[in-house]
Amino acid sequence: MSEFLAYAFVQRALAVGILLAVTCAVLSFFVVLKRMSFVGVGLSHAALGGVALGVVLGAPPLLAAALFTTGVAWVIGWMRGRSEVSEDTAIGVFFPTAMALGVVLISLSPTYRQDLMAYLFGNILSVRQGEVLPLAALSAVSLGLVGWWFKELLFAGVDEEAAQAAGVPVRPLRFLLLTLLAVTIVASVRLVGIVLVSAFLVIPAATGQALARSLKGMLVLAVTSSVASVVLGLWLSWAWNIPSGAAIVLAAAALFFAALALGSRRRG
Amino acid sequence: MTRADTAAIVLDRVSASYDGRPALEEVSFQVPQGDFAALIGPNGAGKSTILRLLLGLVRPSSGRVQVFGHPPGRDERPIGYVPQKVVIPRGFPITVLEVALMGRTGILGPGRRPGPRDRELAKASLALVGLADDADRRFQDLSGGQQQRVLIARALCGEPRLLLLDEPTAGLDSGARARFYSLVCELQHGQGLTLLCATHDLDVVGEHADALILLDRVVLSQGSPDEVLAGSTLARAYSFPKAHRHPHGAGGAP
Repeated sequence: MSEFLAYAFVQRALAVGILLAVTCAVLSFFVVLKRMSFVGVGLSHAALGGVALGVVLGAPPLLAAALFTTGVAWVIGWMRGRSEVSEDTAIGVFFPTAMALGVVLISLSPTYRQDLMAYLFGNILSVRQGEVLPLAALSAVSLGLVGWWFKELLFAGVDEEAAQAAGVPVRPLRFLLLTLLAVTIVASVRLVGIVLVSAFLVIPAATGQALARSLKGMLVLAVTSSVASVVLGLWLSWAWNIPSGAAIVLAAAALFFAALALGSRRRG
Repeated sequence: MTRADTAAIVLDRVSASYDGRPALEEVSFQVPQGDFAALIGPNGAGKSTILRLLLGLVRPSSGRVQVFGHPPGRDERPIGYVPQKVVIPRGFPITVLEVALMGRTGILGPGRRPGPRDRELAKASLALVGLADDADRRFQDLSGGQQQRVLIARALCGEPRLLLLDEPTAGLDSGARARFYSLVCELQHGQGLTLLCATHDLDVVGEHADALILLDRVVLSQGSPDEVLAGSTLARAYSFPKAHRHPHGAGGAP
């Protein structure tokens, strides 16, 4: 393990990975509460369209993806309750379209084709020094905003009407959550990739839920298991020479099934 | 002082539309402080719209709405709101105390976490609804009737002087409904609360409420339960023969 930690690129990957793991875990709490896992899947797919637009327009791909995905998230937030089409159907149509657009655009730009795999499956071990600070700042801002509005987000997540009656700004908070999800998803593309990032927005909370007896316990367990899966996944990736993104998600899934088994035995 | 000044709720020739459809037309009524009034009427009669007007979530297209002499949302003390039910994803480990504490959200404001006083208030509210020993249980492990009592405790946590209840007993059996309204009445007298309840429980609510307001976009009749329930207007509002005026029978869910 000490040999593993001696490499600068491993240290960088761990630092960034742990920050994103904490942010994803906290957001996953609301994704599970508000049954938004499909939104997570959809937004991560839309991110590919954003990456491709960045490539075609000559803008930094992840910045373009962050703007594009946030825009898509806002459209979904705006459509909620307004359209003839249900939110579920809108996501099911809209997001794969954005992804298909991304695949087509990337295929037209041959120099970027080799990067497609990195966007799809992530490669945290290739994080550069200059990326650490912006990602850390992003995580800090996201966690700060969620912390500041935590009980309001919780109230709105459980009972929108009553929260509104109590003066909670339900609609702005819905957009805040969607924005944080979009931006965190794009930031986490470096960690686990577009295909797997949605898992990171569900599994930590699911692990916490399987064992916890209170919300506080659930949140603590979600964050702990999320960080543990990044550390474990990165180590497995290094030790067995397997893709880091997949190793992290498998580690997270292993912790979830362990929690499920432990939880049912305790209740059983 | 006129009666309008002392009333907890005043609606004066209020019209409102909801989702583009007219929901209320020229509705006027008052609820004196400390009274228990029930809004009755068929589905789509505008009962929920009235509650939403009072919460400040819907604006009237014309007319005047006042809560304790202020426009909705301007009273210094929050209004307690009890919804039909709360649906929490299966397995979500929220405790009874954590649900009750949500009632402090509006008072605390963003960035502030509930402190010992908030927890004390939440526990006291749970004690008022008879759930003092259930604070650490999972909300989902409670029966439907108990869950509704937690939602009352949550509303009480905000220290309101007005409780609005939106069909709070939908889905409860007749025993649980009777117990629910007994509790509501105890709170009315014990805590000096004003209550406005939208409901289909004509039979039970008739025993407990001080006044009924029969609504079908307009106020069809209002007065004491005896007056309103005896009138032929009730049968017309619900479009059934007078002999079967209880719309859901004795124990059926709405």
